[in-house]
Amino acid sequence: MEMEDPPLDDKARRMRDLLSSFYAPDPSMSAGSQPKGASFDNIDTDSFDADQYMNLLVQKANLEGLLQRHVEMAAEIKNLDTDLQMLVYENYNKFISATDAIKRMKSNIVGMESNMEQLLDKIMSVQSRSDGVNTSLFGKREHIEKLHRTRNLLRKVQVFNAIAHPRVVFYGKEQFIYDLPARLGKCIKTEAYADAVRFYTGAMPIFKAYGESSFQDCKRASEEAVVTITKNLQGKLFSDSESIQTRAEAAVLLKQLDFPVDGLKVRLFEKLEQSMGDLQVKIGDIAGALEESNDEHENNLQLGFSVPHDASVREFVEAVRAYRIIFPDSESQLIKLSEDLITKHFLTTEQYMKERVSTATFLRVLRIIWNDVLVIDEVLPEGLLHDYCFKVSQSAVKQYFSSTFSHLLQDVSDALMNVHVKPKDVSEEHHLQVALESGKNSLLKGSMDLLLGLRQLLEDNLDLLVKLRELMTDWVQAGFQQFFEALDTRFLLLSGRNKLSSQGQSPREGLQSEKVICGLVLVLAQLSVFVEQTAIPRITEARTEMAASFSGSGARGYEHGPFFLPAEICRVFRSASEKFLHHYINMRAYRISVLLRKRFTTPNWVKHKEPREVHMFVDLFLQEESVVTTIIKLGLKSLQEFVRLQTLNRSGFQQIQLDIQFLRTPLKELAEDEAAIDFLLDEVIVGASDRCLDPTPLEPPILDKLIQAKTAETREQNSSAASSTTQQRL
Amino acid sequence: MQAGSSGVGYGLKYQVHLIRLSADGTELICEGLFSHPNEIWDLRSCPFDQRIFTTVYSTGESYGAAVWQIPELYGQLNSPQLERVALLDAHVSKIKCVLWWPSGRNDKLVSIDEENLFLWSLDSSKKAAQVQSKESAGTMHYLSGGAWDPHDVNSIAATCESSVQFWDLRTMTKTSSIDVSHVRTIDYDTKKDHILVTAEDETGIHIWDLRKTKVPIRELPGHTHWTWAVACNPEYDGLILSGGTDSAVNLWLAPTGSRDEITSDSGQNSLSLKVDPLVNSYTDYEDSVYGLAWSSREPWIFASLSYDGRVVVESVKPYLSRK
Repeated sequence: MEMEDPPLDDKARRMRDLLSSFYAPDPSMSAGSQPKGASFDNIDTDSFDADQYMNLLVQKANLEGLLQRHVEMAAEIKNLDTDLQMLVYENYNKFISATDAIKRMKSNIVGMESNMEQLLDKIMSVQSRSDGVNTSLFGKREHIEKLHRTRNLLRKVQVFNAIAHPRVVFYGKEQFIYDLPARLGKCIKTEAYADAVRFYTGAMPIFKAYGESSFQDCKRASEEAVVTITKNLQGKLFSDSESIQTRAEAAVLLKQLDFPVDGLKVRLFEKLEQSMGDLQVKIGDIAGALEESNDEHENNLQLGFSVPHDASVREFVEAVRAYRIIFPDSESQLIKLSEDLITKHFLTTEQYMKERVSTATFLRVLRIIWNDVLVIDEVLPEGLLHDYCFKVSQSAVKQYFSSTFSHLLQDVSDALMNVHVKPKDVSEEHHLQVALESGKNSLLKGSMDLLLGLRQLLEDNLDLLVKLRELMTDWVQAGFQQFFEALDTRFLLLSGRNKLSSQGQSPREGLQSEKVICGLVLVLAQLSVFVEQTAIPRITEARTEMAASFSGSGARGYEHGPFFLPAEICRVFRSASEKFLHHYINMRAYRISVLLRKRFTTPNWVKHKEPREVHMFVDLFLQEESVVTTIIKLGLKSLQEFVRLQTLNRSGFQQIQLDIQFLRTPLKELAEDEAAIDFLLDEVIVGASDRCLDPTPLEPPILDKLIQAKTAETREQNSSAASSTTQQRL
Repeated sequence: MQAGSSGVGYGLKYQVHLIRLSADGTELICEGLFSHPNEIWDLRSCPFDQRIFTTVYSTGESYGAAVWQIPELYGQLNSPQLERVALLDAHVSKIKCVLWWPSGRNDKLVSIDEENLFLWSLDSSKKAAQVQSKESAGTMHYLSGGAWDPHDVNSIAATCESSVQFWDLRTMTKTSSIDVSHVRTIDYDTKKDHILVTAEDETGIHIWDLRKTKVPIRELPGHTHWTWAVACNPEYDGLILSGGTDSAVNLWLAPTGSRDEITSDSGQNSLSLKVDPLVNSYTDYEDSVYGLAWSSREPWIFASLSYDGRVVVESVKPYLSRK
């Protein structure tokens, strides 16, 4: 404010301040307008302190200054008095004029109110008139506008139809749209869905643009019809009785109708997979049926077709063909499905091969599968299914051979294990003979069958097998090698010789089963010889013969290195047979030893009584069936050693002399090496005399008499035993 | 005994021969002949006093056992009587053997008869032996022999018909057993704890780890007839000698390996099994070989005794180099 009015003198300013402070509702407001530097010594402020001001003034100023100040102040006070007087006058004047103005206003205002009310009434009536006019005209205007729009639309439709569907042009333009529901209905009746869809899709843009307005009814009716059409089309798509063409068309139409076809596709494929499941189960049945089938039936099967399976495969193929057309983008899915089918085929086959499968059956199964592959390949050439099948079939064929080999191994060991269940009325020798023969038979026949099977597979001209020829030869070679190695291990296991490796078996158990195993070990030894001398040469011969007739494939197989090493196998079995024979002899010798131990440790030889008869141990000694020279030798050696451990009196010595004398004749009959037996028997008597306190031999007549008694007894026993066996036979 | 290795042999007319191997190892010299009152069935030298030995003898009907001392010879060859140190006279049934502890001085003796085990306390100065303890092997078992564990003075192994039994001499109780029948001889490996070798009549030689007695750790084919005697070399690991009634002595090399090898590394084990363990077969005998002993001073020399009364000393040195 000061800045705005710098020329204003102090007096004028004070005047104004006073006035404003007077009118101001709040003294602080006026204070706010005061100069900022105001303090107690500023006389114009509220905070002015007269005493302090006085003190300050007295202290600061001299007398002259004070006087001057006094004069100044007196003048100022006079000024202020006059100012106040003037203000009061002015105020009074203003008050009077204001009172006058109020009096005038009061008289003027009285007539105005009625005028205003009149005006309001008039305005109201004008408004109501205008509304009436408006409402009376509204209906007509709406109608006009609608008609105008329809007219524009129809013009457009006419042009469009003329371009897209020339035929429709013949109908009146309004006629076409309004007739659409009826037309669709007719199409449904005649199943002319293609036309219906064409009509509907033709009308579609119109409905889209104007369906909410002019063609509302028309649109609703058409849509209902289309729903029916969609339903019918779906029905067609899913129905297997409809032709593929129809179904494909249905799919195309549905797609045109913007129906979510992918959902349908998924459902259809699920259905196809299910039908594949049905296809799977059948292969086992077919194979089963093949096993039982008679010749007549077999002839049909020889072609590789079985009626029910073939039908279902055809169905599958048709479905694939159809789906390819229906869903042109479904190729990869179909290939995947077909591959699954092939894989499952082989899985089923492999499962089935856990049982025994003849080559013929296996061949037929392969043929069926290959046939399927070819048929599917026709409709799905991109799938390269035959390559896939070739790949998958390798493991199946391989497994076929390995399972055949394992069955063969099982057969041979089964034949041998029959030794353990010995029928009572059969002599052990005969029984072992039977086991040996059946072991030989199953080994040789099995091997020959296997080679025959290989030959069959090699000779077959099935594409699949032709490709596998080389591999099959290799597999069988490797198979034979492994088989004989496994057979060797199995033999060893059966012989119980590897007691060391089978930790669980205690030696006690080993001893218990010893009697049973004893014969088996001999059979094993013979069978090992058979493998070395007969089986391997026969197999090699057959194989070479086959290799000659299949020089194309077989010879190449050899170049890869012959997996089957007959020489090595022969060597293994030769040593095995020696081992088994040795083992057998040991077992026998052990039994004789046990017998002799009992004989020599039980009596007190120093107090032996005079011999009255040949001791019964000789019977047990001779009873040891299949006493071959080696075993007799070992037994006699043991006898000698046992004698050396005793001290004998004369009678004891004579008893041994008697027993040994008796043994001479029958042992020489049994053994080949008479001289050796004689020598060993003499050794026993020498040993006994060495250990005798009084080695006086028996008198020859007594010796003869006792021996004759024993011989007679033995003869009698033999004849009675023979008669009892004949009685049994009768 | 005084020079080089020596052994003690059986005599035909109940004599004990003192044999010395000449210093160059090429000649056997008979140092002395001592008559023995009875037929000798078992003879064992004292491991710490070479002049002392024990015999088990038979009088035809009964059996006896005694400790003997070889008298000072003073140059004379025709011998005086043996000095009897002690009579082990507590036995009633057939005595099988008398055992010394092989690993050092020990004044104890163990004698085994068919039914009982006796522990004797020997006082050679007083010329007396006292029975310290005695235990029956049980009615079902006929003992046939035994061996004293060189690693444990309190443990012995005794053989019977169907098993090998282990006895603790402090308590005279049976601690464990191995199921193996008709063991003719057993011998502890003096180098390796827990290793025991058994020789059986028909089934050859088995090597056992006494911590796992279910199955042997190795099996050797033994002899074509019975395997009668077996002896582990005191110095070389796995070197085993066996004598049999097929008139042969076989030298085997069958190292049992470290413990780890036995238990876990079966692959290597099977590999070592493939190497033929038979190093050599000495077949220059005319009758069954019953006695075998390694020299304690020169462990590559062994002596063997056969039924015809011949002692043969051989060196296995040529075969050791092959190792």
